[in-house]
Amino acid sequence: MAGRRAALRAVDWAAFSERVPPNQRPMFNALKTRSDTLTARLAALPEKPPAIDWAYYKAHVAKAGMVDEFQKKFSALKVPEPVDTESAKIDAQEKEAARSTAEYIQASKARIAQYEQQLQKFKNMIPFEQMTFEDLHDAFPETKLDKEKYPYWPHKPIADL
Amino acid sequence: MLSRLVLRAAPAALRALPPPPVAVGVLHATRQLHTTKQSLAPVPPLPEKGGEVRHGLIPEEFFQFLYPKTGVTGPYMLGTGLLLYFLSKEIYVVNHETVAAACILTVIIYAVKRFGADVAAFADKLNEDKMAQAAAVKNEAMEALQKAIEQEKKEQWRVEGRTYLFDAKRNNVAMLLETNYRERMMMVYNEVKKRLDYQVAMQNLRREKEQGHMIEWVEKNVVQSITPQQQKESIAKCILDLKALSKGAQAAV
Repeated sequence: MAGRRAALRAVDWAAFSERVPPNQRPMFNALKTRSDTLTARLAALPEKPPAIDWAYYKAHVAKAGMVDEFQKKFSALKVPEPVDTESAKIDAQEKEAARSTAEYIQASKARIAQYEQQLQKFKNMIPFEQMTFEDLHDAFPETKLDKEKYPYWPHKPIADL
Repeated sequence: MLSRLVLRAAPAALRALPPPPVAVGVLHATRQLHTTKQSLAPVPPLPEKGGEVRHGLIPEEFFQFLYPKTGVTGPYMLGTGLLLYFLSKEIYVVNHETVAAACILTVIIYAVKRFGADVAAFADKLNEDKMAQAAAVKNEAMEALQKAIEQEKKEQWRVEGRTYLFDAKRNNVAMLLETNYRERMMMVYNEVKKRLDYQVAMQNLRREKEQGHMIEWVEKNVVQSITPQQQKESIAKCILDLKALSKGAQAAV
């Protein structure tokens, strides 16, 4: 990861909260508290540490080269940036999520199509007052009595009466 | 006898006919069935009530049929005339069965007039209940489907919010890294400052101690070097000075 200052994207917690399904609410709350804690910690630390007053120390410390040595080493010191191990994982997770959501949306659309079809069937049905039994068996195949399997009245197992 | 003749002639006549067609399917050629296309229109619903009837027996169409020629009283005249004709000519003979018929018909007509409406309402209600149940089932099914469709749409909308999650995660990671870096810088600063301050503090302490020790040593030596003779002389001088001062002071007061 190149920059130390990866820009923080503003997260709209209100909109996010709306989209969370009720069974995942505890997870969402945990995430929010963690985010808030991190924000607080970050805000508490200053961006740069205050500058060390080298002139004062040079004047007061008796030892000859000590302050100069310190100053030299201090300015030469580079604090290593912490290594970012998680962003790759997050990207992988995001890809995975994109894939699974595409699948889910597809399945969901298929389900919606099925429901729409059934709804249309119900809407196009003739009213019950005008149906004959044959019409009823056409509209609801489960009401049809199987006369081959059960040749004798009542054409269904007694337990189903 | 004629019948026997017919029976004997029948086989000959049958043999005289052309031989029957070989396959059953070819029977279509002899008589056309299903000439028009099957009509797919739904069957029109049956009428709610039957045809109009007068006196429970005679259809209204009969009265309308006779009205142009004989007016309103025509059918009644016809009925009365027919009845009198049957009775007088004894085409219909009055016997004990007539009495029985009269009694039975009286009872039947009374029962129908009194209970007819109630029984009809009861039967209609039974049917209504069945219809209502079926309609309720159908409505419930339709509502359930609607709700299911809405739920699916809502779930799709929900799923679109996954970008928020990943933004939040990345923010968290960035914040953690930044916090860590700042903490490290602060640590470096603090450590260096501590060491420098230590040096300064050490120096100050040493200097203080040296000063204190020197003062003590000088005092000790001076006190040691004061001999008894010097002490007497210094005390006498002090007393003389005090007297001089007291004279001066008395004068002032």
